[in-house]
Amino acid sequence: MSLAGVVKHFPIRRGVIVKSVIGQVQAVDGVTLDIRHGETLGLVGETGCGKSTLARCMSRLHPLTAGRITFDGHDISRLPPRQMRPFRRDIQMIFQDPYGSLNPRRRVGSIIGDPFAIHGVADGLERRRRVQELMELVGLNPEHYNRFPSDFSGGQRQRIGVARALALRPKLIICDEPVSALDVSIQAQIINLLESLQSEFKLTYVFIAHDLSVVQHVSDRVAVMYLGKIVELADRDSLYGSPRHPYTAALLSAASVADPDRAAARRRIVLGGDVPSPIDPPPGCRFHPRCPKAQQLCTHSEPPLAAVLDDPPGHRTACHFPVGDGESLIDAVPGIEQTEEA
Amino acid sequence: MSVSELSDQPATTPTQATSGGVVGRSPWQLAWIRLRRDRVALVCAAFIGLLVLIAVLADPLSHWIGWSPIQQDRDTGTDINGLPVGPGHVHLLGTDQLGRDILVRLIYGTRVSLVVGVSAAVAAVLIGVIVGLCAGFLGPVVDSILARLMDVVLAFPFLLFAIALVTVVGPSELLEIGVIAFFSWAAVGRIVRGQTLAIREREYVEAARSLGAGNLRIMVIDVLPNLIAPVLVYVTLLIPVSIVFEATLSFLGVGIIPPTPSWGNMLDDAQQGGLYQVAWWFLAFPAAALVLTTLAFNLLGDSIRDALDPRTERLFAK
Repeated sequence: MSLAGVVKHFPIRRGVIVKSVIGQVQAVDGVTLDIRHGETLGLVGETGCGKSTLARCMSRLHPLTAGRITFDGHDISRLPPRQMRPFRRDIQMIFQDPYGSLNPRRRVGSIIGDPFAIHGVADGLERRRRVQELMELVGLNPEHYNRFPSDFSGGQRQRIGVARALALRPKLIICDEPVSALDVSIQAQIINLLESLQSEFKLTYVFIAHDLSVVQHVSDRVAVMYLGKIVELADRDSLYGSPRHPYTAALLSAASVADPDRAAARRRIVLGGDVPSPIDPPPGCRFHPRCPKAQQLCTHSEPPLAAVLDDPPGHRTACHFPVGDGESLIDAVPGIEQTEEA
Repeated sequence: MSVSELSDQPATTPTQATSGGVVGRSPWQLAWIRLRRDRVALVCAAFIGLLVLIAVLADPLSHWIGWSPIQQDRDTGTDINGLPVGPGHVHLLGTDQLGRDILVRLIYGTRVSLVVGVSAAVAAVLIGVIVGLCAGFLGPVVDSILARLMDVVLAFPFLLFAIALVTVVGPSELLEIGVIAFFSWAAVGRIVRGQTLAIREREYVEAARSLGAGNLRIMVIDVLPNLIAPVLVYVTLLIPVSIVFEATLSFLGVGIIPPTPSWGNMLDDAQQGGLYQVAWWFLAFPAAALVLTTLAFNLLGDSIRDALDPRTERLFAK
């Protein structure tokens, strides 16, 4: 799948009968991204940076405001629902909330069998057999076919969601924070399940999370989002080893470290202020009001997403003043006035 | 995560531990268990069951009592002044101004009330659910059209409209059902619309969409089952409203055509010329039937609502 300049704006309307558009929430604002076959692409960023919106654009749950999405060489960005259906078999989603994503009034067997019913693949006993196969595959007891979602724990429910996404043997699964709502011990189980399924069925994952260590564990490549844009995109080791964008560096420094000695020795980069509103994002580089390295240039010129310093072409950063190897941002002094200090 | 935490979700099924292990029960089974424990619900259900039985067995009952609902007892039905006679061994609940047996007329009135009340309520709910579901689900354009339509219906002066319509078309039972349904569906539609708007945003609807399900499938398979509980409650609350509505129309002479008895036109007869001042039974029995029936349906509706919503039970748990 590849995305070219994908934009999703949500209009803000006011008025009772005559509605006028008074603004746009620029949830996703120009994302260009290639997802390679068989890889896991991690997508990280703060709450509200547009990760989930981007996921819903990829799965065509949201119509695009602008841009193009191609899948297997077909432009799917503006297909009407009927022509989109065959592609839905190849692109599936796993949702964040294991409670909200399963209809409480339906039995598990019918939920997992939904893809078969919708696409007319199998019915009757054949559907039941295949659903039970899937349940076994994701580690559920096939005898629980007739139970309701509420009879299951959070982790088991997420397995139901995985089984449903897997039913039609998709090529790409978009995982929208699949483990954020789970206990840490359960998170590991679900991640291991996703990894074993990936190698078994040659799946491609887009893995959205705000937990950096989870993303580091599962991803081949990682994209960092800030305010609707991708600010840095690189191989996992390259990104975690030498983050170029000041925002990535700040995120990584804020992630928790298991070793207390290292944690104590470490100094965190503290960003001032809050994430600006996506209704009225700052001009130039969107990160400049909070960036410790911001200069006058950043306030009016938007940096392109490109290889910086002596990075390989796969490591792209949207920054005028990228962070060098070994450079510390702790004592960096911005060249412009910043928003209030934290 | 413990079982009790899980059951904080609406419509969840806490698994119940029994000596034989853990038994999974559907939300409906649990609601049924709660309902059966509710004494008020049981009494009301029994009373309604009795009414249904009376309505079904109206013919043999009246035959057994010995009077037909339109038969005028010229010998013992009225006293020497032509006034109705009170309850006694010939006429258990007395007679009306034409010497007809009140008890038998009440029995046939039960039939009218239930048939009109239930079918009008069911028709209103069917229309309301379909319109509300479409308004809530099919997007802002359909919604604004249908929502305005519901506003218009709710703004109608329904009694004036009913009287005018009956005057033009002529009264009939079917027309009465139609009129009641027409003025009741919009309230159901609003409730269903609101619920649908909320359910539409749930992740499982998105999940169905991402699987490629069409609007109709999502509406029927994913949204509708989540509406059944509130709709069921509304039906049981709408039936008594429709029964009172029927009585009102008959009372005003635009419902059931005399001499066919209904509780409404019996009340009308009783107040003609202030007859109830000398013959209290004439007014009291139909009124009591109406009040008790309405009360039974309302209390049952409340009980069903409590049974379907596990959270209210927890509020009043011992």
